[in-house]
Amino acid sequence: MVALARKTLIYEWRRFLPAMLAVGFAGLLQLLQIALVLGIFGSTSLYITGSSADVWVGYPGTQSVGSGRTIDADVESRILMDPAVLRVEPYIWDDGDWRGPAETGGVSVFVSGIDPSANGLMFSKALPADLRARLAEPDAVVVDRSALDQLGVDIGQTATINGHQVRVVGISSGLRALGGVNVLCSLDTARQLNDDPTDSGPTYLVAKLRNPAQAAAVAVRLRGSTAFGPYTTWSAKDFAKISVRYWLFDTGAGAGVLFLAGIVFLVGAVITSQTLIAAVNGSMREYATLNALGVGVGALRRVVLEQAFWVGALGLLGAGLLGIVLMLLARSQDVPVVLNVPAALGCIILVMGLAAVSGLAAMRSMRRADPATLLR
Amino acid sequence: MHPAATTEHAGTPALLAEGISKAFISGQQRTQVLDNLSLSLDAGELTLISGPSGCGKSTLLAILSGLQKVDSGHVRALGSELGQLDMRALERFRLQHTGFVFQGFNLFPALSAFEQVELPLNHMGLSRNEARRRAQQSLEEVGLAHRMRLRPSELSGGEKQRVAIARALAKEPELLFADEPTSALDAANGQMIIDILHRIARTHGTTVLCVSHDPRLVVHADRVLAMEDGRILSDRRPPAPTAPDQGIPS
Ligand SMILES: Nc1ncnc2c1ncn2[C@@H]1O[C@H](COP(=O)(O)OP(=O)(O)OP(=O)(O)O)[C@@H](O)[C@H]1O
Ligand SMILES: [Mg+2]
Repeated sequence: MVALARKTLIYEWRRFLPAMLAVGFAGLLQLLQIALVLGIFGSTSLYITGSSADVWVGYPGTQSVGSGRTIDADVESRILMDPAVLRVEPYIWDDGDWRGPAETGGVSVFVSGIDPSANGLMFSKALPADLRARLAEPDAVVVDRSALDQLGVDIGQTATINGHQVRVVGISSGLRALGGVNVLCSLDTARQLNDDPTDSGPTYLVAKLRNPAQAAAVAVRLRGSTAFGPYTTWSAKDFAKISVRYWLFDTGAGAGVLFLAGIVFLVGAVITSQTLIAAVNGSMREYATLNALGVGVGALRRVVLEQAFWVGALGLLGAGLLGIVLMLLARSQDVPVVLNVPAALGCIILVMGLAAVSGLAAMRSMRRADPATLLR
Repeated sequence: MHPAATTEHAGTPALLAEGISKAFISGQQRTQVLDNLSLSLDAGELTLISGPSGCGKSTLLAILSGLQKVDSGHVRALGSELGQLDMRALERFRLQHTGFVFQGFNLFPALSAFEQVELPLNHMGLSRNEARRRAQQSLEEVGLAHRMRLRPSELSGGEKQRVAIARALAKEPELLFADEPTSALDAANGQMIIDILHRIARTHGTTVLCVSHDPRLVVHADRVLAMEDGRILSDRRPPAPTAPDQGIPS
């Protein structure tokens, strides 16, 4: 079989280049957008995904980790009674006002009070063991590398949170927060920093199960009692989802992503289809000749679709390579970018869908390949 | 009445048109292009249609080859009633039985001469080897064996038209239609093209119908039809197809 579609694509590559560039840039734009959004909003569930807790206990109706309210500390004993639970620890999440040694003014920080013991659950995946151990010292805090300039401190220096003095004992990485700066300290330090006497209990209780696979079932089972005041439970996976979803949709960011995806698709499809249509028109007489010789319209349309496919595939390849380079660059600059399989698949589907729609549009213009017009 | 130059087929003619009419309507204007025209062509002959510009030659060719529908009358090609075939069936009919050579060469810029010829064969359900064999053979037949790997941009006009002929010929069609195949070529190249067409009619028994203004071609035809205003004015057979190039009527 003579590979007409591919040979034409190679021979007349200049003609198809605009389509490939349009597809490639559409794909790249979409890829980076999704990676950025996932990276930024993924950090809102970092508290959950960076910890090894299987079940979270918090105030009912909490929509994201940052919007929790305190619960009764006695809930802990209720949770511990369940035979599936291996370990429970409190987690204090609090807002704070940071004043650093440098002239930075007040910086809004998110204080995470965690259990600094070696087998602590909170941030077990994000915080190296030595840093965690150092948190046990009174008034010790760990801050993220990405926030050093913002906080105006360096390791060993002191600052104040809500007027209480703290000392930076370590610098972590990958603990970037959205809309503020994460500051990690021990539970004791966190209680010291809280100047509101009315909320005394922890913001959350986090539990490790003997069998993590049972998280969803145990979460449901633990929900029943109301003897200790209001609380509810989530499996860690569900709570992370709720948290990310809250940021994506309640902040309008999700709508923004979809909107931009729509625009990218539209612009890409217009440029790509126009290019393909021009290419088809350029070979119209040849296609008509083939049809006169009896090659079916369907077979000719397949040639156009195949060209659209290659344009999409090559554009995607370019976008993928450039995207990987750009994402590595972003990572090296501490810009949060994350790409997961569904998002990458989404990009591929968008780009190939764009190419397919353009191919179909070009196919329509094939109707003008009437061989009778060759006889004049 | 017929000179015994061609083999007469006792049976039905290869191509038969009876009382065909065709009009084009653009706006309020109606142009009667073919007016109750009848025609019968035998296999193995090169028939030339000549006539003034706009008299309906190309339209007649389009109708006889199943590319256009008639308003009235009917066309019978190789025993098939073309008017009764739908688009798919007409495509299949053309695929199996017809070849075309147009004034423009209509070659894909990206393909080599060999691939241009091989491409339609791929769609005929031939094996890969058979398609290649035929492509090779018909390119040899038009004298392009040494230029098979070249693309259209590397071929002369005459060579391009010979590739186009090879493309039609490789299908081994019973009917070969050519519309002004020489008008874009100089005299020598035009001569070569008509020679090839004539030889195809002879050696393959193909019914070749060629439209041309070119008076030099007349002597090479087995039969010349003169058209005017949608009718056939005269139908004659030049005395000797192999006669030397002189005394050309104009
Ligand atoms: N699709 C069409 N729509 C309207 N009119 C048409 C169409 N096709 C052909 N005609 C008209 O039909 C007439 C005959 O056209 P045709 O192409 O058959 O002429 P021709 O004999 O081949 O002329 P030439 O020698 O210049 O090629 C012309 O007057 C032309 O304007
Ligand atoms: Mg014409």
